[in-house]
Amino acid sequence: METKSRTLEITILSAEDLRTGNTPVKKNAFVVVSIDAFNSKETKIDGEGGSYPSWNDKLVMEMPVQTRFITLQVKYCKGSSSGGEKLVGVARIPVTDFIGGYSPETCLQYLSYRLRDAKGLKNGIINVSLRLKEPLRDCSSQAASAGGIGLGIPIDGPTDFGVVTGIPICSAYPPNAFFR
Amino acid sequence: MGNCCSDVGGGMMAIGGTAPSTSAANQNDAADWYFKSRGIQGLFSQIELSFSATNLRDRDVFSKSDPMVVVYIQERDGAFTEVFRTEVVLNSLNPKWITKYTVTYQFEIVQILLFRVFDVDTQFHNVAVKMLKLEEQQYLGEASCALSEIVSKANRSLTLDLVQREESVPSTYSQHRGKLTVHAEECFSSKTTTEMTLKCLNLESKDLFSKSDPFLVISKVVESGISIPVCKTEVLKNDLNPTWKPVFLNIEQIGSKDIPLVIECFDFNSNGKHELIGKVQKSLADLEKLHSAREGENLFLPTLVGHNQNKVLKSKFFVENYSETVQYTFLDYLSGGFELNFMVAVDFTASNGNPRLPDSLHYIDPSGRLNAYQKAIHEVGEVLQFYDADKRFPAWGFGARPIDGPVSHCFNLNGSSNFCEVEGIRGIMMAYTSALFNVSLAGPTLFGHVINRAAMIASQSLANDAKKYFVLLIITDGVITDLQETKDALVKASDLPLSILIVGVGGADFKEMEILDADKGERLESSTGRVASRDIVQFVPFRDVQNEGTSVVQSLLAELPTQFLTYMRSRDIKPNS
Repeated sequence: METKSRTLEITILSAEDLRTGNTPVKKNAFVVVSIDAFNSKETKIDGEGGSYPSWNDKLVMEMPVQTRFITLQVKYCKGSSSGGEKLVGVARIPVTDFIGGYSPETCLQYLSYRLRDAKGLKNGIINVSLRLKEPLRDCSSQAASAGGIGLGIPIDGPTDFGVVTGIPICSAYPPNAFFR
Repeated sequence: MGNCCSDVGGGMMAIGGTAPSTSAANQNDAADWYFKSRGIQGLFSQIELSFSATNLRDRDVFSKSDPMVVVYIQERDGAFTEVFRTEVVLNSLNPKWITKYTVTYQFEIVQILLFRVFDVDTQFHNVAVKMLKLEEQQYLGEASCALSEIVSKANRSLTLDLVQREESVPSTYSQHRGKLTVHAEECFSSKTTTEMTLKCLNLESKDLFSKSDPFLVISKVVESGISIPVCKTEVLKNDLNPTWKPVFLNIEQIGSKDIPLVIECFDFNSNGKHELIGKVQKSLADLEKLHSAREGENLFLPTLVGHNQNKVLKSKFFVENYSETVQYTFLDYLSGGFELNFMVAVDFTASNGNPRLPDSLHYIDPSGRLNAYQKAIHEVGEVLQFYDADKRFPAWGFGARPIDGPVSHCFNLNGSSNFCEVEGIRGIMMAYTSALFNVSLAGPTLFGHVINRAAMIASQSLANDAKKYFVLLIITDGVITDLQETKDALVKASDLPLSILIVGVGGADFKEMEILDADKGERLESSTGRVASRDIVQFVPFRDVQNEGTSVVQSLLAELPTQFLTYMRSRDIKPNS
């Protein structure tokens, strides 16, 4: 019987170049990590970092085996109370980037992702480190790299099994606005 | 009003101390400058070599030999110059010399040393070692090696057989001349860095209409009583209860944990006349105690000459955080069994030209002159080979059509379909030459496959917990065709213990390739939105430098220990794990 979920330790390290509109974010940025709609956690708020906040906040979450993405949302608080948050940008980590990739899953991996705002424009970078607490039960790394689907040993290196990251196109903007 | 032009912002910055431990800087700045001004570049470490020998030949009639070692360094033109002599050990065939030779270790060049052992004749025993004429002494034997061979050994000791010089008459004696052991020690080995967060409470206000703008200056007190500033914190504006950013002090910079430090708190004034608010005098050991006891220390103000008492203030000084970390050096990791594994990939695209014609970049000159590819392999390989334990290097070619088959963007240079390794640098050269006439050059120029193959090897080593760091050398004559595929491969590999050196040969315009080197641009981004976690690529166009001091490839290599250390330190991997 396969285990239903695995423990993910994800440390949100820092983010770079966050903006709202065209102005840099001033303060109080934080990150919401969601595995699905009911399973999410938040980091502490960084009051000082401005548009280059750093948190170094470690979150431990249970990740069901069939998860495909982990979503990171960077937000900031406008006032001193926690009401009034605004979304700065979103990044989606495909699970295949750290399971079945080059590094063993229980090894600490450092990953960075491009953040895109609600309109799909580039808005900074987020840096995280993560590892899975337990190895897959039948421990060979080759079995793990096949994603447990039983497709056998990949010949040419790990391949992405059809995970595509889509970026929404907003019709109000000319096409070259996406390549800032 | 002249103060308007002074750099107030600069004056408010924190200065001195040492870098936080996650940075790779670990040298003594003053000495580094000294060496740089004399043309010695690159990451340097001072190494002390000590010598001992066993079973030396007995040359004296009534007593044993009185041996001495003379050390020579090979210069760029191949000649050896004498640099050092040990003392003379009397009457011993198994001597241990005391005087040590200090040499600067430079990762990026091959430093060949020659050791000659002489038996000093009795009549010279009272003469200073420097004055001895070597022709008048008895030659006992010699040995030579590269400095990197010594430092890359686990116990940093290399034992060499002493041999006779080539030109002497072959003797009928047995060739047994004894062994020489050279042992290396780093002069400034792993440094202990202390990180402290300092704060004060209830400082007095020195400004008229606002609160003080305090900052600290930490000085060490030397024997003569003079205090030498070591570092200063940043200035905090308008704060009588300041907590400054963490200060990093190198214990070697101070001397020891017991050397008294004077910590003075000044009020910053933009005219440069900072007023002393108060001071404390503590050593690092005292500060550690202050932290663990969670107590404060009252600041005091020295009063005017004539009064012996210092005025004790109500303001208190606290050490909020105190931690010590050991910063290991590259050589520490080598001693711990870490290796650098060299891999090479050669561009076989048609743009290089027909290898049989002299104007081709792949032309093998019968006179023995190396072509650009051979030179690059040689320069990088000769340095890196000492750090690879088994001297078996994976070697690939890309962009060509092997005898029966379609174009391959990653084929084994040795022609085998099962394994990709060759033996030694010579093996690479031989495989390269034979591959040249067994494949037809084609195209396009793609690095993705080679990078993926190298990443697979690095990944398997990581899974086996091996202490290996991989260096892939890609030598190419042209610009990549599919930049995005290469970026994707690089981003995926950016979290592995891998560095990629790309050397561009020939006259093409390599401007586009510089995008891959994040020093010159932004972090690489893949097509799926992932960004490279570290900058693993370095690119340099290879120019035929005969007369310049450092070749461009050497400056590439000089970066490698820093990349290695950054990788290890950021993952908290210690040499003795």
